[in-house]
Amino acid sequence: MRYLTTIISIAIACALLQSVLPWWSIAIASFVVSLLTALRPGRAFIAGFSGVALWWLILGFIRDVRNEHILSSKLAALFHLPGYISYLFFAMIIGGLTGGVAATAAAMLNRKR
Amino acid sequence: MAYYKKNNERHISVHTRQQSRIWGVLLSVLTILWVYILNTPIGALPPLGKILDPQSGCMANAEPVKKSFDLNTAMSGISKDSKVWYDDRLVPHIQAANDHDLYYIQGYVHATFRLWQMDMQTRAAAGRLSEVAGEKTFEFDRKQRRKGMVYAAENSLRAAEDDPRTKEMLDAYTAGVNAVISSLSYSSYPIEYKLMNFVPEPWSNIKSILLMKYMADDLTGKTDDIAHSYFRTILLPDNYNNLFPDKIAGSTPVIPEGTHFPPASLPTPAAPQEQNAFPAYKAEDFGYEREEGKGSNNWAVRGSKTKSGVPILCNDPHLALNLPSLWYEVQLQTPDMNVYGASLPGAPGVVIGFNDHISWGLTNNYRDVKDYYEIKTVKGNPDKYWFSDKQVPFKKRIEHIQIKGQKTFADTVRYTIHGPLIYDEQYNENGSLKRPLAVCWMGHRASNEMLAVYMLNRAAKYNEFTEAIQHFECPAQNMIYADKAGNIALWGQGRFVNKWYNQGEFVMNGWDSSTLWGDYIPMNENPHAMNPEQGFLSSANQCVTDSTYPYWYNGDYSELRAWRINQALSEMSDITVSDMFALQNDDYSILAGTILPVMLGYCQDINNNKYLDTLRKWDGRLTATSMAGTIFQLWWRNVYLGIWNDDLGHSPDHLLPLAERTMQLMITDTTIRYYDDRATPEKETLRDIVRRSLTRTTDSLTRKSKEESLEWYLAKNTSVTHLAKIPAFSFTGLKTGGWGNTVNAMKGNHGPSWRMVVQMSKETEAWGVYPGGQSGNPGSRYYATFLPNWVEGKYYRLLFLSPQTTGQDARIIYTWNLKPAGKE
Repeated sequence: MRYLTTIISIAIACALLQSVLPWWSIAIASFVVSLLTALRPGRAFIAGFSGVALWWLILGFIRDVRNEHILSSKLAALFHLPGYISYLFFAMIIGGLTGGVAATAAAMLNRKR
Repeated sequence: MAYYKKNNERHISVHTRQQSRIWGVLLSVLTILWVYILNTPIGALPPLGKILDPQSGCMANAEPVKKSFDLNTAMSGISKDSKVWYDDRLVPHIQAANDHDLYYIQGYVHATFRLWQMDMQTRAAAGRLSEVAGEKTFEFDRKQRRKGMVYAAENSLRAAEDDPRTKEMLDAYTAGVNAVISSLSYSSYPIEYKLMNFVPEPWSNIKSILLMKYMADDLTGKTDDIAHSYFRTILLPDNYNNLFPDKIAGSTPVIPEGTHFPPASLPTPAAPQEQNAFPAYKAEDFGYEREEGKGSNNWAVRGSKTKSGVPILCNDPHLALNLPSLWYEVQLQTPDMNVYGASLPGAPGVVIGFNDHISWGLTNNYRDVKDYYEIKTVKGNPDKYWFSDKQVPFKKRIEHIQIKGQKTFADTVRYTIHGPLIYDEQYNENGSLKRPLAVCWMGHRASNEMLAVYMLNRAAKYNEFTEAIQHFECPAQNMIYADKAGNIALWGQGRFVNKWYNQGEFVMNGWDSSTLWGDYIPMNENPHAMNPEQGFLSSANQCVTDSTYPYWYNGDYSELRAWRINQALSEMSDITVSDMFALQNDDYSILAGTILPVMLGYCQDINNNKYLDTLRKWDGRLTATSMAGTIFQLWWRNVYLGIWNDDLGHSPDHLLPLAERTMQLMITDTTIRYYDDRATPEKETLRDIVRRSLTRTTDSLTRKSKEESLEWYLAKNTSVTHLAKIPAFSFTGLKTGGWGNTVNAMKGNHGPSWRMVVQMSKETEAWGVYPGGQSGNPGSRYYATFLPNWVEGKYYRLLFLSPQTTGQDARIIYTWNLKPAGKE
């Protein structure tokens, strides 16, 4: 349960922070939430990754569906990716890794408790 | 959970806790490093994290397909309530109470939909691309500076700001653009800013003028003076005139033959002595390289030739095919103006279009308005040059070219009495003459084309049209005109110098005062015709006049399209707009129609060649799917190069005699020595060259057809390319027919940039299409909306709202209600 709550908290924290700060605030969001919830490092990584990935994927998909894949198809071509979905997942992975690394760092620092 | 915690604590010793903390710190640093890398451009790659972010990155530019463009807002830049109605093609119909508000809103609308393009095109004009694109555009930038582009814009900006009308126009436009720029943040920047990782800078009046100079350079900047000097060097005068006649035999000029020209009010200047006028060169003094020219068509037919009984005016300027499109459709309305047409994003007004009274169109005039002068610098003193036996100091202009990621490059450009030294010891390029050369260009001189646009947009009758175009000095244009009183007219309009015979056809002596540009020809003596008996007027970049025009001039003309258009129009009657659509899309090759029978005649005895059989049945139309078209084009190319390349192939800019001249020679003179291939010991005749070329063509087609289809559109690959050359934002392999020498002048990356047909009925009826869409955003459904219709030669009926409209039209789908804000 705590696991799922962490993931959703990270996603929400990202959404809130990103409305005022640049994209790298996803690292701050993941770091802070992870620090507060004290998961084991491995789980923290998965939570950080999933939290950001969830947010970026949902936002990406909403924008993409409303755009009827016009831009994502072009961006996929730009990045030499096979199709518009792969672009959204590519972005998701980059965002997810950022969140994952930040959350793991926080979990490691937190292990003193 | 409790078990987990206990278990956890039991297993972690102080030692591992410390270890974990060290890892934590290391990972934190890694996180920061990771974020830093993703936030930093690497080489040409944009900052990955920044652009992949769906919130503010590229996906922020994914415009919802059902987005409403409605807007109710207060603007501090306008003084009265104004409206913008968008029709179903997203063409804005702007209604304002006064000029200031109108041009403010036009700037606002341009910047809303085309900002990045406006930025890039004016950067290109000013030689400032390297600031944002890095080293790869450095050579381009340097050439722009050397050509004196900014110097030219500064001169014309003064002229534009001296006139209160154009001053207000530009100031308001600039303020409108800047209102948009200051409202933007990273997430709302056009996507190209994100991909190229730079930010928009404030607009200013000179940027609009730079755009005009960019067009002037595009249309008049290429001149064959250096190549002609080369030919003059290597050819005997008779041969030179035979291969490169000033006026080609059988030309159907822009101003119809037989038009009466009043005698010149200025005497023809005496030509200086040959040795004073032109330096002597050797063949080795030249380099060589080549780029292709541009063309355009326009014509108007009188009511006597149309079914409706009123004139029809047509125009299709051929320019580089890019996205976002060069053109942006707009209707502009104030209490004293109602105009619709193609505008240039980056400049106020409508450049080609119509109003409630007149319509007008442009093709490039191609008279030579750019000449080169060899400069003799004073030995041992790079600050001075010889002129009229005196040492004259250069004026120096230091050009600072900023290059992204590198040190700024400073280039000292020395200005002479003629103009800037484009080439010197420090700077040279392929295709030039290896001497210090100054360039004298009409575009350098102060002129106010913006005023011409301003007045054209408001012109209601012929004399207002002619008054307006007086201000259109460079680039010189063939301006077609039709009005609701039933008149048609055509002007070869621009600012021209009264030249002596051959002045500026070759590189001139820069030290002799007799070579200086002299007086301007009075503009009312520019070639023009009105309501000719033939019932139509047309231009397609051919020679401007017959030889009865009293002033000497030269230029870079082509005749094939003009022959076809004039032939078609003279045979037509009861013309409808559909006929005009068909003519604009005509892909009959008059070159093929004329020369193919001659080529086939030399191959009558060859019976086992399937390509030849295909050609024997061909109607000469370069349709998109024509195989014969591909075969002919390749065979002709081989014949053409087979004749000229061995003799003249090393010319600067790879200039060779025109295809139409070659065609004429092949028919009328089968003995000229150029048919012989100097690379072989045998003496070839034209017959040998044609047959040898056929063998080569057959070989390469056989090889080619194994891998790909021979359909013409695939062979020529018409493409509409994104300005930053991003393939994902471009379209290639478009299924189009035609070629540069057919009326439908569809080449690889050049073609009809705006097709317009206007019938001057009581209620103006107009049709148009351009290869793009109203939005410059690749993530918008309006990005390339018109492209499919353009490819198929289909048109849109243009929505021209009546004066004082209230925007009640079924085709209006969005409205901007704009109110003045704040200060009153």
